[in-house]
Amino acid sequence: MRGHRYKAIHFLLLIVTLISLSACSEEPGKKAAEQNWEDIVAEARGQTVDWFMWGGSPAVNAYVNGYLAEQLKTHFDITLRQGPVQDIAEVVSKLVIEKQAGKDKDGHVDLMWINGENFRTCKKNGLLYGPFADRLPNQRLVNWDRPSVANDFGEPVEGLESPWGSAQVVMIYDTARVPQPPRTVGDLLKWIRSHPGRFAYPAPPDFTGSVFVRHIFYHVSGGAQRWQGPMDQAAFEQAASDTYRVLKELAPFLWREGQTYPESPVRMNTLFADGEVDFSFSYHQAEASRNILDGFFPDTVRTYVFDEGTIANTHFVAIPFNAADTAGAMVVANFLLSPEAQLKKAAPDVWGDFPVIDPARLPAEWRKRFDARPLGTATLSDTELQSRQLPEPPSEILIQLEKGWQQHVLKGR
Amino acid sequence: MDSPSRPDGDARTRRGPDAGGLVLLLLPALAVVWVLFGGGLALGLVQALGYLPVAGLGELSWGHFARVLTDPDFIRSLLLTFYIAGTSTSIAAGISILTALLLASLVERSRVIHFMFQVPLTVPHLVIAVAAVFMLAPAGLFSRAAVALGWIQTSADFPLLINDTWGVGIILTYVWKEVPFITMMILAVLRQSGNALLDVGRTLKASPWQRFRYITLPTIFPAVGAASLIVFAYTFGAFEVPFLLGRTYPMTLPVWAYKNYSDIDLLARPEGIATGIVIALVVMLAVVLAQMLTKAARKRGVIL
Repeated sequence: MRGHRYKAIHFLLLIVTLISLSACSEEPGKKAAEQNWEDIVAEARGQTVDWFMWGGSPAVNAYVNGYLAEQLKTHFDITLRQGPVQDIAEVVSKLVIEKQAGKDKDGHVDLMWINGENFRTCKKNGLLYGPFADRLPNQRLVNWDRPSVANDFGEPVEGLESPWGSAQVVMIYDTARVPQPPRTVGDLLKWIRSHPGRFAYPAPPDFTGSVFVRHIFYHVSGGAQRWQGPMDQAAFEQAASDTYRVLKELAPFLWREGQTYPESPVRMNTLFADGEVDFSFSYHQAEASRNILDGFFPDTVRTYVFDEGTIANTHFVAIPFNAADTAGAMVVANFLLSPEAQLKKAAPDVWGDFPVIDPARLPAEWRKRFDARPLGTATLSDTELQSRQLPEPPSEILIQLEKGWQQHVLKGR
Repeated sequence: MDSPSRPDGDARTRRGPDAGGLVLLLLPALAVVWVLFGGGLALGLVQALGYLPVAGLGELSWGHFARVLTDPDFIRSLLLTFYIAGTSTSIAAGISILTALLLASLVERSRVIHFMFQVPLTVPHLVIAVAAVFMLAPAGLFSRAAVALGWIQTSADFPLLINDTWGVGIILTYVWKEVPFITMMILAVLRQSGNALLDVGRTLKASPWQRFRYITLPTIFPAVGAASLIVFAYTFGAFEVPFLLGRTYPMTLPVWAYKNYSDIDLLARPEGIATGIVIALVVMLAVVLAQMLTKAARKRGVIL
């Protein structure tokens, strides 16, 4: 059989590799597990870390190629090289092919910025190096008890990726128009019914509209926790059809009587600013403040989160199974979690991304600096946001809800 | 236009290289068309047939086409797209003929008018669609002006012009954008043909209507027809204007294709591409059909 011949060749190659490797001291990958952090930092010196990420945001690119690259060079003698891609899924599918082809080392990707569906694909196909996250010293600054950190869109992280930042849904309202906004999802539904035409949400599969539907889904199905981990299809279908029923009954009370929906959060913000609707919401906790700064929203606009919490997700960095510079990649991942890098990233004029480290775990002087950082008029404090976070459900639930919404709520079948 | 008195000698002297040479000369242009357009279409077809290794799809089948064509929304989307493309093209063509006639004499003298008509040609559809939102929305510029002028009580009284049932906003946008294009095409013909034929008509005591029907219309018809076909093909396949100004549902075919193609579920992608190919086929069919109708009309002696 052909398989035998291939096995023989593989065996030969293995022997050749082992012989050539014995010339070197040890295999670096094997050693890493016992290495202490000082050794890793020492090994990382002089390495070039190729970090592949979505390159569509000038703010992110400037932070990575400017601040991060300089700091890493100065403190750790690491050269950071950004590999900007349109979609990190491109890199993931390349890794799938490399895995199939047996290219187990010297890959050209050392670090990648991922979450959600892409992480799931990587984890399922064994494309990740590690677990490495628990070995980063700065990991103690992260509160892993928070479900939105421990699970990446419902997929347990298990140390295979290291958190970098996070985003959380906030409701946006104008204190001049609605002094007492509804504090729970249930109250919001009641408010919409008693104020016909004053609420809108973007049509899923728009990212923001889709997360609104998931809040309703959690509301009717009794919370986020039961949807973490493996999915019970029968229970899901019951909960999903309840969700569609609630949203269908809600439609006549929406903007334009639910005959049409805003196509994007940008449009919803315009409707809100124009006074056509009384609420907006965003998957970015600082967006309202930025819109106030830009003069798009009035100064009286504020944000809040529901008493039961709002959905948050965390974005991570992971190391591919065949990365050439794992030590350098770990040092970079660790530096990303340092208070200085997180604070810099959170500055509204740099990126404004939400810190993923827990301010309560910081030394007093750093905690002060985090508390004192300019948030913007309408942005909630880290503590208030982090105490009211709900995790995302697994991505298959997300996909099915989007499809179901279009079938049942939009088309009314 | 077939004219029996075409001087044959003229045609012969104009014919430069022979057929083979002609193909050779056209080769660079043809290569670009075939490689980029034909190649893209072929690649699209392969993916629409289900070849998408990234998503773990490897078998070829017509299933995606079947699913698109049997979807209860397909006919609805198709009719909506036809309605929008047809209506905007007809209105734009009608207005363009009138404008071109009015401007024919003016443009000769005024470079400014000529320039003004070229401006909309340079503005992308997307920009105009966004501008239409700002102007025509219930809280838009026009509505606010109407309230300020006391024509309506509140902005809620302003008629729904965008995201509305009849696609008014989409059609208005297309008409605004395409009228200058068709007008320029007609003007080019009118300027070439000159006024000699009309003068002849006048000496023969043809009424203004007769002059329009039997002299001007046949002269400009090929230009109107060609420009309208281009506009129809474009509006049938364009995505941005109906995406921004249309209703969430029902949606036009291009919006539907985009939705499927950009779906988070990679398995929906082949259906998006299949929809795109259906759009291309419909447009090609429309072009062929229009050609056949024109030919048939000429054969029957209809003066066009």
